[in-house]
Amino acid sequence: MKTVYVCSDTVTGIFSGIYDAWKAGKREEDCEIALRGQLEQQLFCDYVEAEETEHKAAAVEALIMKHLGAKAYHDIYHAVLSSDPKKGDAVLGTMLAAKEIPDSTRIMEHLSHPKVEKVFELCRNVFGETHSYKGFLRFCELENGVLYARIEPKNQILTCLAPHFAARLPVENWMIHDVTHKTFAVHEAGKQWVIAFGGPADEEVFKRVSDREKEYVRLWRGFCKTIAIESRTNPRCQMQHLPLRYRREMAEFCNNSH
Amino acid sequence: MRIQEALSMYDKLNILTDAAKYDVACTSSGTSRKSDGTGIGSCEQSGICHSFSADGRCISLLKILFTNECIYDCKYCVNRRSNDVVRTSFSPDEVCELTMEFYRRNYIEGLFLSSGILKSPNYTMELIYAALYRLRREYNFQGYIHVKAIPGADPELIQKLGFLADRMSVNLELPTAESLKALAPNKTRKNILTPMRLVQNRMTENRQEIQLYRNAPRFVPAGQSTQMIIGATPETDYQIIQVAESLYQKFELKRVFYSAFVHVNDDAALPAKTGEGPPLLREHRLYQADWLLRYYHFRAEELLTEENPNFNVLFDPKCNWALKHLEEFPVEVNRADYKILLRVPGIGYKSAVRIVKARRLGSLDFTDLKKIGVVLKRALYFITCNGRMMYPTRMDEDYITRNLLYAGEKLPREVTEMGYRQLSLFEGGNGYCEDGICVQ
Repeated sequence: MKTVYVCSDTVTGIFSGIYDAWKAGKREEDCEIALRGQLEQQLFCDYVEAEETEHKAAAVEALIMKHLGAKAYHDIYHAVLSSDPKKGDAVLGTMLAAKEIPDSTRIMEHLSHPKVEKVFELCRNVFGETHSYKGFLRFCELENGVLYARIEPKNQILTCLAPHFAARLPVENWMIHDVTHKTFAVHEAGKQWVIAFGGPADEEVFKRVSDREKEYVRLWRGFCKTIAIESRTNPRCQMQHLPLRYRREMAEFCNNSH
Repeated sequence: MRIQEALSMYDKLNILTDAAKYDVACTSSGTSRKSDGTGIGSCEQSGICHSFSADGRCISLLKILFTNECIYDCKYCVNRRSNDVVRTSFSPDEVCELTMEFYRRNYIEGLFLSSGILKSPNYTMELIYAALYRLRREYNFQGYIHVKAIPGADPELIQKLGFLADRMSVNLELPTAESLKALAPNKTRKNILTPMRLVQNRMTENRQEIQLYRNAPRFVPAGQSTQMIIGATPETDYQIIQVAESLYQKFELKRVFYSAFVHVNDDAALPAKTGEGPPLLREHRLYQADWLLRYYHFRAEELLTEENPNFNVLFDPKCNWALKHLEEFPVEVNRADYKILLRVPGIGYKSAVRIVKARRLGSLDFTDLKKIGVVLKRALYFITCNGRMMYPTRMDEDYITRNLLYAGEKLPREVTEMGYRQLSLFEGGNGYCEDGICVQ
């Protein structure tokens, strides 16, 4: 009978589920990883709640790094951050498929395998959204000089975005607020970035921007308007590259300061 | 005489952006660098687009002119000296301030600084150098900087500037020397090519220096580029891509940009205004051909010829080439060489790499190709998988042309919806045999 391992939608959770399934020595068709809360009940299978520990996650990470290589781990890690409920299953399927081929470090090239292809697709999607936000994210300067950005990504991309901005703005205090997943990436000047969970009590704090902020937003809006060549106007092309969902938080498109 | 009042920052930015907007290059790619921890800024190899303007072009850099006061009188340019427009200049500090403040808000990836010629090429170049020096050394900015080298300036100055910038470009302006003479009377071909050659040579030397001393300062690490105006003068596409090809080969340029001619001035030397707007499709086809030259191992004379000097309006240059060379098709995806795969319409260089890797682990089918990212509605006429085409096709130019043009409508349903239906055993009313037993 098929066993479904139920775990939470975090890297630790999913890796713990994979750990349990791997430990039980299941074959691909006998096991599945499902996310708590996004579960589709099926007949004729066992549901097992995976006990989530850091130890299990670290063990799976080490397993992937050792046998599949760093490049594959990079892809798998990105896939696990995706918003797709089938991601855990795809990762487990990929790991099991890697056992079958002679050189398991080449598993990500095996695109004709459906699970590998799924991981590849999820990774590409997460990577794409991360890259978009690297450009489309907008900081605004709060009264206390902290740079604050709001984003509403589909995937859990904060851990991919934070290193980029930490390398870019090491001397600034900044924070990125992931509204969808209620998490924050916080960086203090000259220090490491950290992830904080849970919403803040007072959203009002983020609305009080510094005096200079409004002036720079005005300058930036003016710039974006002027830089377009009138006789080449092409809103479809603009839409294709910059979908509306990103524009909500972008200074040059929205009307309030946020 | 009109005395100009001091302009506000907003107005200055407005004027100098408006004057810079016809410059095409707004890329921030080609170099990778992390901040050293003392200032802000980093560069990504792939470049990052920060916004898109209403014309669909990417905004990656703060693209401004240092000044729009110009002593030259190029017929196509808004800032030519015979035009009556408001003139203004930034101070080096203003440029730095703007760049830093925009950068820390993640509006931009860096600065693109161009300029009109104020007093003399050398004078202008020194002002630009002062601005960049301050930005790099005093403000500690480590983001991307693209700067224009001004033809006619001292080689010494250009070299100094190259150590501060990531990319340098000298505008070729127009594809041929004759056109340049007609439309830009103050510029000469020689003057433009000299700094280009200088930057090239200095980059070669710098590569050796870096091999010897790992921490040697980098000279124009993201390479140099140029741009030319398309449609203001009577050159054919063939001439233009030949010029581009020789620039890539002889000057080792990273990019050549094409800018569709936009009517901003009325001048007898310019083509008459037609109301059709800038030749955008032509520009698009040239960019497509440019990619074929740089990434797909095509040569200019393969794409166009003396007799057939302009690109097909209906098809991209690669598809057009394939239709004229049907004798080379269909190619077998599971065996064909990488360079041959690159020549198939619908297969880009990424999918070609993926195909080569994936087929080592098993033979590929049309559904696999779809997943890999091949555009099957184009590729299907030119490829076989395990010796079979996706569906019967005549290798006939007219037939394929027709089908490509009506792609989607003319194709069988199975093809447009992609993916094969599993043949069911119990389908159809006729009896058939299974394991020798007749089933009805």
